[in-house]
Amino acid sequence: MSAGGAFGGNRGARPVPPEKGVFPLDHMHQCDLEKKDYIGCLKSSGHQSENCRIFSKKYLECRMAKNLMAKQDLSELGFRNERDLENLREENNGRIENGS
Amino acid sequence: EVVVQFNADVADGMPWKFIPTQREVRVKPGESALAFYTAENRSSTPITGVSTYNVTPMKAAVYFNKIQCFCFEEQRLLPGEQIDMPVFFYIDPEFETDPRMDGINNLILSYTFFKVNED
Repeated sequence: MSAGGAFGGNRGARPVPPEKGVFPLDHMHQCDLEKKDYIGCLKSSGHQSENCRIFSKKYLECRMAKNLMAKQDLSELGFRNERDLENLREENNGRIENGS
Repeated sequence: EVVVQFNADVADGMPWKFIPTQREVRVKPGESALAFYTAENRSSTPITGVSTYNVTPMKAAVYFNKIQCFCFEEQRLLPGEQIDMPVFFYIDPEFETDPRMDGINNLILSYTFFKVNED
């Protein structure tokens, strides 16, 4: 793989640590089911992340429940959009029904 | 929409099977997404490994953000142990407005595992 730069190497592309840290490994396979559900969803929905958000959410919730992930508000992890989208849809439906 | 594809490698002398669990994930910039790798220690001794990664094309790498992952820390697998390795990431929304990113619809995330130790 070409790496660019006169001397080669990944100049300017230093590995960056993850924002919220490392995932401890699930050695006891406690969240295997949630993972399988998510992967299954991806494979049957054109690998669209958006379509499978509920399963990735469940996987992260499982991790939090088993102490494999620091507990935090899922809206801080980018799941806010789903709620906003749902609210938006409900609002729109209400408007349509009211004929406005 | 960006297609993120996944590569997995092991260094010479590293007796793990290491593969991406899904071939790709389609995401929109700003949207967080989950992906998995699977690793299996095929040897008869416990092995500790550590991974490095890169993102191509290189000029897009700056927009690839990992929220949480299995990387940057040594991982020890017992003989025969198979484990899931998740990566939780998002592509920075500014990817969409950077003209240098025009025409880039595919990113490839590649991990390589190296052997650190053998018990």
